[in-house]
Amino acid sequence: MAETVLSSGEKIFILHGIDADFRNDGRRRCEYRSMEIETKLMPQTHGSARLHIGNTDILVGIKVELDVPHADKPNEGKLEFFVDCSATATPAFEGKGGDDLATEISNVLTAAYQTRNAFDLKTLCILPHKKCWKIYVDVLILQCGGNLFDAVGIAVKAALNSTEIPKITAATLDGGEPDIELSDDSYDCIQLDTSNYPIIITLCKIGDNYIVDPTLEEEMCSTSSIVMSMLPNGKISSVVKLGYGSIQFNTFTKMLQMGEIIGLRLNKTLMDVLKEENQFGRQRRIFGFLK
Amino acid sequence: MIEAENIEDQNGLRPDGRRALELRQIRVKMGVFGQADGSAYIEQGNTKILVTVYGPHQPRGSTGRNTSNISKGIVNCQYSMAVFSLSSGERKRKPRGDRKSQERSLQLKHAMEAIIHLEIYPRSQIDIYVEALQVDGSEYCASVNGATLALIDAGIPIKNYAIGCTVTLINNPSLEDEDNTLEKGVLDANYVEECTPGVTLSVVALPNNDSTSKDGLIVVAQGAGQRLHLSQFESLKARVLYGCQDIRSILDHAVREYLTEQSLPSLFHVALN
Amino acid sequence: MPVDQRRINGPEVSVPYHIYSDFDEKSDKVKHDFSKRSDKRTNSEMRKIFLKIGIVSQAKGSAYIEMGNTKVVCSVFDPRELSNKNGYCTQGEIYCEFKFAPFSCQKRKIHQQNAEEKQYSLILQRTLEPAVCLHEFPNFQVDVYVMVLDNAGSSLAAAIMAASTALANAGVPMFGLVTASTIGIYGNHYLMDPTDTEEAICNTQPDKEDDFNHGIITLASLPQHNQISEVFLIGSIDTNTIKQATEMLTAANKDICPVLQQCLVKTIMKLHNEKK
Repeated sequence: MAETVLSSGEKIFILHGIDADFRNDGRRRCEYRSMEIETKLMPQTHGSARLHIGNTDILVGIKVELDVPHADKPNEGKLEFFVDCSATATPAFEGKGGDDLATEISNVLTAAYQTRNAFDLKTLCILPHKKCWKIYVDVLILQCGGNLFDAVGIAVKAALNSTEIPKITAATLDGGEPDIELSDDSYDCIQLDTSNYPIIITLCKIGDNYIVDPTLEEEMCSTSSIVMSMLPNGKISSVVKLGYGSIQFNTFTKMLQMGEIIGLRLNKTLMDVLKEENQFGRQRRIFGFLK
Repeated sequence: MIEAENIEDQNGLRPDGRRALELRQIRVKMGVFGQADGSAYIEQGNTKILVTVYGPHQPRGSTGRNTSNISKGIVNCQYSMAVFSLSSGERKRKPRGDRKSQERSLQLKHAMEAIIHLEIYPRSQIDIYVEALQVDGSEYCASVNGATLALIDAGIPIKNYAIGCTVTLINNPSLEDEDNTLEKGVLDANYVEECTPGVTLSVVALPNNDSTSKDGLIVVAQGAGQRLHLSQFESLKARVLYGCQDIRSILDHAVREYLTEQSLPSLFHVALN
Repeated sequence: MPVDQRRINGPEVSVPYHIYSDFDEKSDKVKHDFSKRSDKRTNSEMRKIFLKIGIVSQAKGSAYIEMGNTKVVCSVFDPRELSNKNGYCTQGEIYCEFKFAPFSCQKRKIHQQNAEEKQYSLILQRTLEPAVCLHEFPNFQVDVYVMVLDNAGSSLAAAIMAASTALANAGVPMFGLVTASTIGIYGNHYLMDPTDTEEAICNTQPDKEDDFNHGIITLASLPQHNQISEVFLIGSIDTNTIKQATEMLTAANKDICPVLQQCLVKTIMKLHNEKK
């Protein structure tokens, strides 16, 4: 990803620290860094969120458009993810350099949201066979400081939570052609029910132990990691193993269990924070990148 | 395409309440990212641009294999727009790689080559990456301003501030003759005003330090829109240099404030008034 | 995506006719019954495997595998030096390309890789990396190309096994063989080695059932070392079910390993006997 070069001495130092449950920045193995989230900071989008964890910076913008449903799924809307690794993160992402990483993250997101338990596409249907909503989720990775998948997962969930889809007052079939009327009041909109949207957790295996929220240096010391996406009702919607190493079966089960516990805790904290932010209402001052 | 009905309002005010020579609100933050060598975030009205600078470092990739310029450094720019950045509602399909972005990258490179002392960085490369988060008119000029600030944040010595400003001449034949301040061109147009029939001139200038002389070196100038008659060019030029001078003083103040915050109290403490 | 000049694709607005036939069977409201499967297997029985090595004469190593109706061919080419590497790498690289043939699935695939195939290529690469001794060919890259000729379920698992056998046939130094298998979960049913219709069903959830496990798990392991080399799960499953399913898969992977080994030994013996 980035240009950090670690000497073998530094790698051994990190390894021993993790064995002793004491990482370079003082965290324990199961602790996250402090995060900052702000939603609705891009007024030209229907929903947006910015997430800041350590050195990782993610910006998500949501745009909603009217579209025709697929022929083989006439009652469902569409959800499309697009990830862009900006060159601001590292010069290696210039031009098409960041495309591989972007495809991987976008695949993980698609796998996480594909089950109906997580996101029911039927809620996006307006007129079966004729009109549906298409939600474009665009992720912009501004800085890479380790733990990209988790940050993207949280930012996407926060952005979808803040999305306002314009309310449709009338949708009729006028002689075979769809006739859609939107509400005149631009603040009149429907929100998505994000209570069961997935949270992505990465568990990084370093030495004999596994950690959450690795920094860039810790990621370079790990041989393999598991990226799992958890739904708040306890189910797991996708699991992928990254890295070039292999893991034992027992370790795999233990990692899943730890991921489940942490995922539930993370999700609860996120929903509490988003509810708190919502309570400020429309008078909230938006800082964006100025703070 | 947005239809602009009444661009010329009464009392010489534009639709957003500004006068002809008034700029939009500029807000600046330097040092946004810790990992980049230099970074800056600039907001001009609703146009939000993020610029990062990496360098000077060893040339990489295709630029590195070209060994003809051993005596000078290389400046490498990339202009990219976020997919959700357009204010007019549509979503952009590709963030970079289309003709407009490539042209803007090249123009940005020309502007930056004018202010960086490339002779003191032989065999090195400086990367400047611009990410446009929201686009509402004069995004190229805002990116030039942001790039200047990012270079200052990166500690790369520059000859002068490179300031970009747009001036738009609106061809509205129904304008009355009495109130013709707007006819000579308006500064810092937003997207709606840029879409009206007329010509938009984007100028990057190196304004002079003293506020009395309104001259400066023009580095890059590009026009967009309809044809511009040469007789109107001088007055537009005067207006845009005036605008550049104003933007320069705003950015200078922001830079001094940022550096004073960051530095320890010392003899170089600058009075901010 | 660039316009394909060499091929004539169908009109853009065409859709396959299958969506208009058998409409009732595709309805999500029906909860499928898996007490007996369509091809008379039990729930924990895998399909028969046919494996042949050395079928592509131009490649250094190749393998062709059939699992039921799923047919996958894989070829491995000699290590080649990477020209644009600016720096000496102490490890080699594996480059994988996974592709469905356009005629292999029910819906025609285009000739370029789409996102799903790119994802499978990356998964294939990550599966093979723990098994291959990368330090034996520093600065070189081994190419592995997999093409699915007929997708009748668990094509990823078949591809992994074909690739691992082809690598062994090519003489690439390896720590061990990689075997893979797939399991489909639908409610309380664990379907080993699902066919494509069963996979499609496991990817959906019947209406009005919230606490319903459904999904597909592909597990690749190095059975000789008891290590899991890759996990790929899609669906909505709780952790206990995952644990049980992966136990079943690990046991199945261990059982398949002798098949691959015998096939490789048979090929060597045949070459040896021919030389005599």
